[in-house]
Amino acid sequence: MVLRELGAPPTKGVVRSTGVPRELRRRRTVLALVILASFTLITLDARRSPSSPIDPLRNAAASVFGPLESGATSAVEPVNGLRDRFAEMDRLVAENQRLTEENAALNGQLRSAEYARQRAAELDRLLKVAGLGGYTVAPARVIGIGAAQTFTRTVTIDAGTADGVRADMTVLNGDGLVGRVVRATEGTATVLLLTDAGSTVGGRLERTMSLGFLSGRGQVGSGAVLDFALVDVRAQPKPGDRLVTWGSRGSAPYVAGVPIGEVISVGAFQGTFGSTAVVRPYVDASRLDTVGVVVGPPARDPRDAVLPPRQGR
Amino acid sequence: MRAAVAGVVLVLAVTLQVSALPHIAIAGVTCDLALIVVVGFGLARGPEFGALTGFAGGLLLDLVPPADHTAGRWALALALAGYLAGLLRREGATPVGPGQVGLSVVLCTSLAHLAFAGTGALLRDPSADAGEVVTRLGVAIGYDVLAAMVVVPLVMWGIGRFGTAQDRRRLTGGASL
Repeated sequence: MVLRELGAPPTKGVVRSTGVPRELRRRRTVLALVILASFTLITLDARRSPSSPIDPLRNAAASVFGPLESGATSAVEPVNGLRDRFAEMDRLVAENQRLTEENAALNGQLRSAEYARQRAAELDRLLKVAGLGGYTVAPARVIGIGAAQTFTRTVTIDAGTADGVRADMTVLNGDGLVGRVVRATEGTATVLLLTDAGSTVGGRLERTMSLGFLSGRGQVGSGAVLDFALVDVRAQPKPGDRLVTWGSRGSAPYVAGVPIGEVISVGAFQGTFGSTAVVRPYVDASRLDTVGVVVGPPARDPRDAVLPPRQGR
Repeated sequence: MRAAVAGVVLVLAVTLQVSALPHIAIAGVTCDLALIVVVGFGLARGPEFGALTGFAGGLLLDLVPPADHTAGRWALALALAGYLAGLLRREGATPVGPGQVGLSVVLCTSLAHLAFAGTGALLRDPSADAGEVVTRLGVAIGYDVLAAMVVVPLVMWGIGRFGTAQDRRRLTGGASL
């Protein structure tokens, strides 16, 4: 940097040329201070404990940005509705070619397919799942989505401690398990999605009731899959097998009996620690909108009572 | 006055980046709007302003939900990027053209993402592996350059309007900042 300063063409006036070293010094001081401040923050927050000194700052940021995110999401809603309608249209065109009989009916559906109606339908299915499993659910909307470049799969929802949401609560939607709450402020909560590389869920195979652990790979998009490692050495998963949560002690962070996904392939290696399988989650994390937070767990484990009917999938 | 304007612009950029822009993400990679704004500030006002606004914008990205990583990582990454953008502006003292905007965004995006991944590696964050970092960086660079062509001129024009007369002379007169 000094070399560059010397090589620069002489600037106009004596004041400027004598001012340069001081300016350079000041610039370096600013850079050093900013780097020092960043590392101080990182050090203070590195242990990620709940009592991190950064948490009050996070809460303050959430209380300011929660309404802002909510407003921005509402503002772009028509655009998203449009996108959903285009997606719906594409699907219908494909079906058109196969089933001309159903064409008219589907076109009628398309005309009335509004964003609000879709959300109402989602909420309806959510309530159905909640009713089947006996959960008490606080509904919420996704208002912020984490970017892939931060390597964490998280979303913000617009329900917080004021709605009874606390950290380590299960989040689901009409399709199945979404993830768990990692942090809640008064008006917002941060949800760690199933597909995050740091997420592990206990899963139970519907067919054999054998247990295992599902972990995310940090993948993005609708093709994201989970790895399933069975605890039972003798258990043999098969493609098409469906999984539900087996629930944690005290129903935190995961309540029992929430549908997770379907086995799509089984690992080739029959290791010492049981079989492994690849699972496709029922919930498409890239298209989340209305979700529910389980604020009251069911009185007893519903097992697989809330799984979708087999022919429907 | 200028700091207040910069603050408002950063809050706006961060809000859009976490709520509206993910809906038009490419392969899950969201446009780094805050980073682009910081590059614009650096190009317009020099390394100090770039580093300070970068720190502030990065800190917001670290704290605003749904962030769930160690605070300070984006702050460091964006501060370095803002400083670099300021240095790049000093070299070519001519008014900033599309080529320089593109080059600055490529360099600053790379620096910021590598700094973010680097602190992740220091903290033994298991979720970032090298291959993923490179693919996502590639997507991010392409996306950011496209967005910057619109955003950077707007930001530079906006912040120039709120400068003093002396600043304007320095900006347009071609003298290095």
